[in-house]
Amino acid sequence: MPREIITLQVGQCGNQIGMEFWKQLCLEHGISKDGILEDFATQGGDRKDVFFYQADDQHYIPRALLMDLEPRVINGIQNGEYRNLYNHENVFIADHGGGAGNNWASGYHQGKQYEEDLMDMIDREADGSDSLEGFVLCHSIAGGTGSGMGSYLLETLNDRYSKKLVQTYSVFPNQNETSDVVVQPYNSLLTLKRLTLNADCVVVLDNTSLNRIAVERLHITTPTFAQTNSLVSTVMSASTTTLRYPGYMNNDLVGLLASLIPTPRCHFLMTGYTPLTVERQTKNIMVSSCARTKEASQAKYISILNIIQGEVDPTQVALSRKSPYVQTAHRVSGLMLASHTGIRHLFSKCLSQYEKLRKRQAFLDNYRNHPMFADNDLTEFDESRDIIESLVDEYKACESPDYIKWGLEDPNNHLTSEGNATGTVEP
Amino acid sequence: MEDGDQRVVDLVKELVHRLLHPSPHSNPQNPNPSFLSTQQTVEYNQALKYSLRILSSRMTLSIAADDSAMAESIKRRLATTGKSSEALAFADIYAKFSLKSGPGSIKNKWAVLYMLKTISDDRKVRKNILSNRMPSTSADVGGLPTLFDNLDISSRDFSDSRARESIEKGWNGGVLMVAKDPENIRDMAYREYAVLIKEENEVSEEVLVRDVLYTCQGIDGKYVKFDEKVDAYVLPELIKVPRCTRIMVRKLCELGWLFRKVKGYITESMDRFPTEDVGTVGQAFCAALQDELSEYYKLLAVLETQAMNPIPLVSENASSGNYLSLRRLSVWFSEPIVKMRLMAVLVDSCKVLKGGAMAGAIHMHAQHGDPLVNDFMKKLLRRVCSPLFEMVRSWVLEGELEDIFAEFFVLSQPVKAESLWREGYRLHPAMLPSFISQSLARRILRTGKSINFLRVCCEDRGWAEAATESAAAAGTSTGRGGLGYGDTNALESLVTEAAKRIDKHLLDVMHKQYRFKEHCLAIKRYVLLGQGDFVQYLMDIVGPELSEPANTISTFKLAGLLESAVRSSNAQYDDPDILDRLRVKMMPHNKGDRGWDVFSLEYDARIPLNTIFTESVMSRYLRIFNFLWKLRRVEHALIGVWKTMKPNCVTSRFFTKLPSDVKLQLILTSRKCQVLWDEMNHFVSNLQYYIMFEVLEVSWSNLSKELEVAKDLDDLLGAHEKYLCSIVEKSLLGERSQNLNKTLFTLLDLILRFRSHADRLYEGISELQSRNTDTGSWLGEGRKDLTKRAGEFLRNMGQDIDATRKEYSSAFEGFISQLPIQQHIDLKFLTFRLDFTEYYSQLRPNTGGKFLK
Repeated sequence: MPREIITLQVGQCGNQIGMEFWKQLCLEHGISKDGILEDFATQGGDRKDVFFYQADDQHYIPRALLMDLEPRVINGIQNGEYRNLYNHENVFIADHGGGAGNNWASGYHQGKQYEEDLMDMIDREADGSDSLEGFVLCHSIAGGTGSGMGSYLLETLNDRYSKKLVQTYSVFPNQNETSDVVVQPYNSLLTLKRLTLNADCVVVLDNTSLNRIAVERLHITTPTFAQTNSLVSTVMSASTTTLRYPGYMNNDLVGLLASLIPTPRCHFLMTGYTPLTVERQTKNIMVSSCARTKEASQAKYISILNIIQGEVDPTQVALSRKSPYVQTAHRVSGLMLASHTGIRHLFSKCLSQYEKLRKRQAFLDNYRNHPMFADNDLTEFDESRDIIESLVDEYKACESPDYIKWGLEDPNNHLTSEGNATGTVEP
Repeated sequence: MEDGDQRVVDLVKELVHRLLHPSPHSNPQNPNPSFLSTQQTVEYNQALKYSLRILSSRMTLSIAADDSAMAESIKRRLATTGKSSEALAFADIYAKFSLKSGPGSIKNKWAVLYMLKTISDDRKVRKNILSNRMPSTSADVGGLPTLFDNLDISSRDFSDSRARESIEKGWNGGVLMVAKDPENIRDMAYREYAVLIKEENEVSEEVLVRDVLYTCQGIDGKYVKFDEKVDAYVLPELIKVPRCTRIMVRKLCELGWLFRKVKGYITESMDRFPTEDVGTVGQAFCAALQDELSEYYKLLAVLETQAMNPIPLVSENASSGNYLSLRRLSVWFSEPIVKMRLMAVLVDSCKVLKGGAMAGAIHMHAQHGDPLVNDFMKKLLRRVCSPLFEMVRSWVLEGELEDIFAEFFVLSQPVKAESLWREGYRLHPAMLPSFISQSLARRILRTGKSINFLRVCCEDRGWAEAATESAAAAGTSTGRGGLGYGDTNALESLVTEAAKRIDKHLLDVMHKQYRFKEHCLAIKRYVLLGQGDFVQYLMDIVGPELSEPANTISTFKLAGLLESAVRSSNAQYDDPDILDRLRVKMMPHNKGDRGWDVFSLEYDARIPLNTIFTESVMSRYLRIFNFLWKLRRVEHALIGVWKTMKPNCVTSRFFTKLPSDVKLQLILTSRKCQVLWDEMNHFVSNLQYYIMFEVLEVSWSNLSKELEVAKDLDDLLGAHEKYLCSIVEKSLLGERSQNLNKTLFTLLDLILRFRSHADRLYEGISELQSRNTDTGSWLGEGRKDLTKRAGEFLRNMGQDIDATRKEYSSAFEGFISQLPIQQHIDLKFLTFRLDFTEYYSQLRPNTGGKFLK
């Protein structure tokens, strides 16, 4: 009963960061590129079975489903050095291979279309685990497949596995540069609605911040996807260490998230990691974070979980065990998972960008071609907008000490956490 | 021979008779006593006795028995005195005499010659005395002592003065002449003085000296006898002696008294030894005393021979020095008396002691500035302590307690193997000699204890090597008698070396063979719930079972579940030996107890680790387990609640369809539930973090550090004890935090109750949800009814939750206000964690201890 977690990698971005994530996990658990346990890693102590399962032939196979509407990235994986790692039955590529054309509606619609195939895969994988803990979805919210099909999957999962957890690693688009995806604000908004309503926890991976880190801190002038993805995989693997290396606390995803997310709707987590190493450059940095506005100074931490690994003196700080197989330059590394009200600025920005486009009624035609928006029915947009707005409001309310009263007549005691990242968890 | 002897006697008698009474009519064979005057008879008897004594004497002459040399000497004397013709005649006669041989001839020619010469000399001397008034001494002549001079030696007891008188009367003749001689005047004065003394003293000094010598061997003398009443040797008052002599005698007899005491002790102890517990040390002490006494006997023997010599008068020549007077005796006795006194003192103080106590007592007396005393005591102690040191040696190097008489300062008690270390041996403070310091004694105790522990509990043989090594390092042989009193340094170094090596070996055995630390870690991981995944599975699978009443639960089933929890978690990779020791334990249960109340995990430490993990230690572990298990259960329950009210479950659904008042009610109630959950979860998770970081991990890292520097098993025990204590203390299980602990358990119970409320609430909501979506039964009335019922349900739930919250809040308030009162510093961290945002501390002064309205 290892409390299995099934990873869904959807879309181009999702598969890329998923790939990096599995690479990192393989390294940490001493699993070779073919899924066979290395000789040096045979002694137990780590829990591989949360993320992997063992096939009859002693292969460790990731509990991962690779889904995309176009074959390029997945083909790349299947021809790459890790091709033998994945279960080939767990790969889904749409027949026509045309992708979603950066259109959320197209992705969503195709998701519906392939629901049976997709859900078959998910069900099979879920049946294969004794005590499924939940799902992890890797996707970006800007494109078509990751956002659209991802959204559809979220809704379906929520419906079918309502008792299971759904955690997402969602890559937020880079809002500083003009994206090649012009409809990105639409896609983001529509996805955000599902993330708000249908996910239990969203780890925000903000491309804006990632790029800024790469450029400003690591001095990489034009950060490649590989570079930012390696940052992402570091964060992802670090945030799952407590699940993979059992200790006194936080041994399952529920326990981990329960303390992190005291208020159901505010389940967007930002991450920080130190020290960051990309191609041997090291910096102490926060990965995803809020926009740096003046308002940010008002922002509060709702909760924080610091996962500190390595040779740490327990008399000083928290700790988690660390993979003995990966040599790092640093004896200690730390990951912070935090629920921070500053994240609302990200959503506000999404909203404002959406408003800009919406005002001009730009690029809506692509959406109208799909059933959800047929007959110029744009209520979905409005509904999404409302939900995001209320989310922003709730986050904003969290900043005030009177949060308890928000949406509640009774004055009640609740912990409005303010303070800095000093302790371990501070709801 | 009889006949020959009798003949000789008769001849001598006749000779004496003739010499003294030249009257021919007396019958030499039968001297008629009536015929003779009394004086004559006395003289006769004396002379006879004297001559017999001379004849029977074995004394030999200093002159070589050479008859020709004797003849030559006679010849020369005749020649020098101007009688050369006589000399020639003598030579002629001698030639004939010497040639004469065969039957009837004189056998002892030399003796005859010598006698003749002596007679002649004697006659000459006598003439000289008469003519020159020279004092006659045998020394002048160099031959036989003159008869009457010798007479006064043989009869000094009573006839001394009379003999002298007879000399003066018989031979000196002229008193006037004597009086004229100045030397003689002094001599006379002395003689008169001696006579005075004789008259004054009933007993002569010589006799007293001999008596004193007797008493010094513990024997009553002729006059000086032991008097029980005064407990001393005394000269009875009846005997007339001068006071000074009496005192002197008394003083000298102290030695006898002391001797009596010492000797008495020795004989007593020796007699007692095999049957009663005098002990080896006592025996050694006796032997040492005995040795001292034999020295003393030697001295007495010498003195006794000297006592044979007469005490000369002051006038008499000092060349004859070997005589004993009381004064001389007191000089002789000065050293033995000191020693004897010491011995007596020791005997006195050691009479009731034995073993180490005895050695210690003797040692106390040895602390003396007098080098004589000091040396003497050291010598004695070396003997006395040798059995003791032998015990130390065999204890430290072999772990053997060769102590049948309970003399050693280490005592053993028959105990079970597990308490061997703690209770098996202890120091016997009374038997600890003062020259061995407490710390050294403790080290000695521990070293031997370690060996025994290794032997009995660890079944280890490697210590022998370590012991040999340490003996070599300390420079003593492993054989007997390597150590002695006085080389405390050698002892110290032996003990240090042995302790170092044995302790190291013991720790090695504990760590390598018995993997002490791994077991500690195993306890931490299983009993203290450190292995999270294992605990989680266990909680999951035994949870339903434990909700049953305690008396219906089967231990076997739980053991099976434990097994499967081990198998399905990472614990499966652990050492099977360790897993094998993990057991389910059901505590004794009362009526109405649930499984949760009685379930616990137990770790079977086994020999030799059960020396450390004793029953009391394990019972403390059990208490910690129960606390942590409860905490974990509560945490588990809270997470369960979170899962049921998980954000994406309910809120996104259907509520739009509900009437607005019910909807509001729903939101309100679930919100209340949410907020209370938050508060509880905040408390529990921070408490958990506190337990993990401040309590378990910190204590563990301290333990690890201390284990690394631990030098012996006691250190190990101490470190572990500290570890356990700190956990107990910090997890509020200690004595001082009983109230706090009670409140804490109330809080935890409240949380569990909250869970059932929350479960009911969400069950109701989901029921509502399913009915709502079930459009088939959408009848007007039914819907209204449903709405009404939903409203009621929600209101009730809201009230329940409110009530719980109220109770919880006041309990929590109690808890957090009690926290700062605790003395333990680490509890401050708990306060800090719980009230990180200062929410509670802000709340309290304002509301005066009340949270609500």
